[in-house]
Amino acid sequence: MQTVRDIVIVGGGTAGWMAAAVLAKCVGTAQHRITLIESEEIGTVGVGESTIPPIQQFNRILGIDEDEFVRATNATFKLGIEFVDWRKLGHSYFHNFGLLGADLGTGVPFIHYWLRWAQSGGDPDQLKFSSEAEAARLGKFGRVPPSPGRSEPNINYAFQFDASTYAAYLRRYSERRGVLRREGKVVNVRQNGQTGFIEAVDMADGSSVRGDFFIDCSGFRGLIIEQVFKAGFQDWSPWLPNDRAAAVPAERMAQPSPFTLARAREAGWQWRIPLQHRTGNGYVFCSSYISEDEAAAQLVDSLAGTALASPKLLRFKAGRRKASWVKNCLALGLASGFLEPLESTSIHLVQAALTKFLDYFPQREPDPIVITRFNEEMCFQYETIRDFIIAHYKVTEREDTEFWRYCKHMTIPDTLAEKLELFMSRGEVKPRWGDLFSEVSWFAILYGQGIVPEGHHPLADAMSEGDLEITLSRIRAAIKQRVAGLPSHADFIRSCCAAQPAPATTAA
Amino acid sequence: LSERVKSVAVVGRDAPLWLAAAAVQRALGATGLRVQAIELDTRVAQVDAYVAVPSLGSMHRLLGLDERLVLNVCHGVPMVGQRFSNWGKGGAPYLLAFDDEPPPGGDLPFTQYWAKGALEGLRVGLEDFSFGSACARLNNVPVPTPEPNASAASYGYHLDAAAYSELVKQLALRLGVDVASAGVRNIDVDGDVVTGIDLDDGRRVTADLYVDASGRETQLIGRLRRAEFESWSEWLPCDRMLATSAPRLPRLPAFSQISAFHGGWVGIFPLQNRTAVITVYSSEAVSDAEVVELAGVIARMPVSGEAVVSELKAGTQRTPWIGNCVAVGESAIAVDPIDALELHVTHGCISHLMSLFPATASEFPEAEAYNRSVCSFGSNLRDFQAAHYVLNGRFDDRFWDRLRDADMPPKLKRKVDMFGARAVVPLNDDESFHEQSWAALLLGCGVRPQGYDPRVDAIADEAHIEKVQQRMRDVAQTARRMPSVEQFLGLDQAAAAQVSG
Repeated sequence: MQTVRDIVIVGGGTAGWMAAAVLAKCVGTAQHRITLIESEEIGTVGVGESTIPPIQQFNRILGIDEDEFVRATNATFKLGIEFVDWRKLGHSYFHNFGLLGADLGTGVPFIHYWLRWAQSGGDPDQLKFSSEAEAARLGKFGRVPPSPGRSEPNINYAFQFDASTYAAYLRRYSERRGVLRREGKVVNVRQNGQTGFIEAVDMADGSSVRGDFFIDCSGFRGLIIEQVFKAGFQDWSPWLPNDRAAAVPAERMAQPSPFTLARAREAGWQWRIPLQHRTGNGYVFCSSYISEDEAAAQLVDSLAGTALASPKLLRFKAGRRKASWVKNCLALGLASGFLEPLESTSIHLVQAALTKFLDYFPQREPDPIVITRFNEEMCFQYETIRDFIIAHYKVTEREDTEFWRYCKHMTIPDTLAEKLELFMSRGEVKPRWGDLFSEVSWFAILYGQGIVPEGHHPLADAMSEGDLEITLSRIRAAIKQRVAGLPSHADFIRSCCAAQPAPATTAA
Repeated sequence: LSERVKSVAVVGRDAPLWLAAAAVQRALGATGLRVQAIELDTRVAQVDAYVAVPSLGSMHRLLGLDERLVLNVCHGVPMVGQRFSNWGKGGAPYLLAFDDEPPPGGDLPFTQYWAKGALEGLRVGLEDFSFGSACARLNNVPVPTPEPNASAASYGYHLDAAAYSELVKQLALRLGVDVASAGVRNIDVDGDVVTGIDLDDGRRVTADLYVDASGRETQLIGRLRRAEFESWSEWLPCDRMLATSAPRLPRLPAFSQISAFHGGWVGIFPLQNRTAVITVYSSEAVSDAEVVELAGVIARMPVSGEAVVSELKAGTQRTPWIGNCVAVGESAIAVDPIDALELHVTHGCISHLMSLFPATASEFPEAEAYNRSVCSFGSNLRDFQAAHYVLNGRFDDRFWDRLRDADMPPKLKRKVDMFGARAVVPLNDDESFHEQSWAALLLGCGVRPQGYDPRVDAIADEAHIEKVQQRMRDVAQTARRMPSVEQFLGLDQAAAAQVSG
């Protein structure tokens, strides 16, 4: 095989245009030709997409202006996720982005000092030590520039945006940088008879597009990775039984919340993602426990505002393509696997695959050693996120419906069981190197779902009681002060990144 | 209600015993935890040396042990790198130093630019772009500079082993560690639990948690039912070590010299008052008597006085934390003496123990996380060491030929393959060495990258050449500005004072 020159992306949508944008930026179109094939006949879902903070890195790689990006995608800011009714009905907790408390410079994470304090009768709400959670509670948002010398962490955030406008935004970005877009449907994939490498795809109009490397963004069906290469699918539905989602947009919230809401329902959970111009809603459920019609009806009934369309139904299965890179084809997005959007990881998985792919970008025929390594790293990414999501279902007091009884009593992967055991003892799970979710995230979820750690790191006991009290109240005061200085989320958006001229208010 | 851990007994000898006891005491003494050290007979001879990679400096900072004091008391010399000779017939010697990792998120690793250059005929080795190696060659010590973007490297130490053990012991005592100086008569175990230790003076020591720092004899953990030793002799075959001494080198080098010979290797480790000459070998390939003769010949130094032989057995405890017993250092992971990792292993195990120090004394769910991390930490170190042996280029020596034919550990194989394919080294969990160190090692062992990251091609050839040349100039200039070993140790001033005074 000759030098890789022609890169063909099969499928538009979020994954396809993310690939196009990052390749256009990092590989460039001077020596490579980047073509994206998509068909307007195949629609995208486009309800509302919620992200996690590493997306800021992706934006930095692309070099895009954040305000412009927020305007273009009708985005709002996101400080975390509120989970309602997950531990038990009527209970809620918050998965805060960012860190907790401050680094006390002792080598012992803040959480252990907090645990010590809570275990001896202190306020059991750890989120008083999270600027993000505190701001979210008050509906505030602001960017806090890094301030050297201060030990309190910055405010960390992600975005909630309209997935279809995001794809359109990245399309403009990519086309400006020389990416070619081909309209049409792929009807056939041509392989080299000897090597099995993909040589070209044939289009419905009789033309064909040849390439040296192919990126399969064709969705669940995996036009190349599965239809041609039969990579295989690892089914995780025994742990993550949800297999449907009904999605419906509703009117915008007057004060869009700077967080995503995830409310547990009788056979799954429901999201609410506030955008600037409307609110995305969806019910992710398991069809063995509730019918599609019933789920859609419950979704529409629960909306606070008016529905702007009728519910759309999506079908899926949790799991992962056994290999996401085979020969000269890389699968991204739904073509490489699916994990429900409970922790907003779909876009991140595309981003992670793309940045890794850039590290291993092939000059010529991809080396099997490189491919194996890539697939192992992606497998690790998928599995750690999978475990994190499973924990939301497994650790619960709910047994009020058949769905929740199943979740509470299901067997879980050993990797997760080990984490839960350690957490019960000391409030930490020791994530491995490269784990997407940090101790702070694990703490928010496991503590929020109802595990109260019995102990804490004994090193935290080395501080005197008086010092501990002073330290905690100092940090608490700094967080309150920081949050008090923030504008409301709505005002912040109005001031610098409103999608269109702010609608005239009644007071005008 | 679960009780906290209130007492820890550390059983062991020499530096690892005192480092472990001092670390626990310093961190947890204030919480009322009692640390008892039970000292076994020393295995350190007067001719021994501890050679340590830079991580020992962080251990000292953690313990509040002053670097100057360590260097003075232990006749120490900074170890900026290690120079490997005769590991391949006709192969050039190579230096392994300890360059700091550039901050993440910046440019591609320099190795990529170098790999492209090398494929296009660049004659200069990657080593010439290593700041640490440049310093080592000049016998200079890379100290921190105020310039933000300057090259940086760290250094380790060559220390007199007996003096160092004593120094750390004094530190542990000062911190408040209790010492049982009576000999050990009996260690009581019940299945997978240590139940107590009977001393010669009739006392019985019990604790909530026992730490085994006894070295390869594994006097605590080795007695437990579940204890299982995994040998690494397939890749780390040397089973004997001979320690001897030679006079001080007139000009102190900033590096250790590691020379391979037909039955193993000889290490020359400079100290302020003498030079430790340590031979590590396989008893199948060469006899003790021969080695006594050979050591001085290979080292090209007059070796005299005591010559002490000890046994080696590289391998690991499959479960370094069993029940109420945690193995640290050589009791957990017995590495080869190559690459100066003995105290690094001790440090690594202690760090993992401190980060997972049990929250309660009832059961220890922390053990599983400790075992996983320590085992992967150990196997990464083993792979680093194994590379020297299995990738050797000494043809026609039976000992070395056999090693070359051995199957590599799988993760090492992957590193070698990936480095050969595109000059990247895939790192695992719990790695001690940066990608650059691995790259230097693999190049030294003769692995040549056949490809590189295509993003390197994004810059024009002239810019590429300029970048490479600029880097070489920067490294050389900065290295020349660093103090010499003598200056660093303050020896030049002392000498000057003597002359004038």
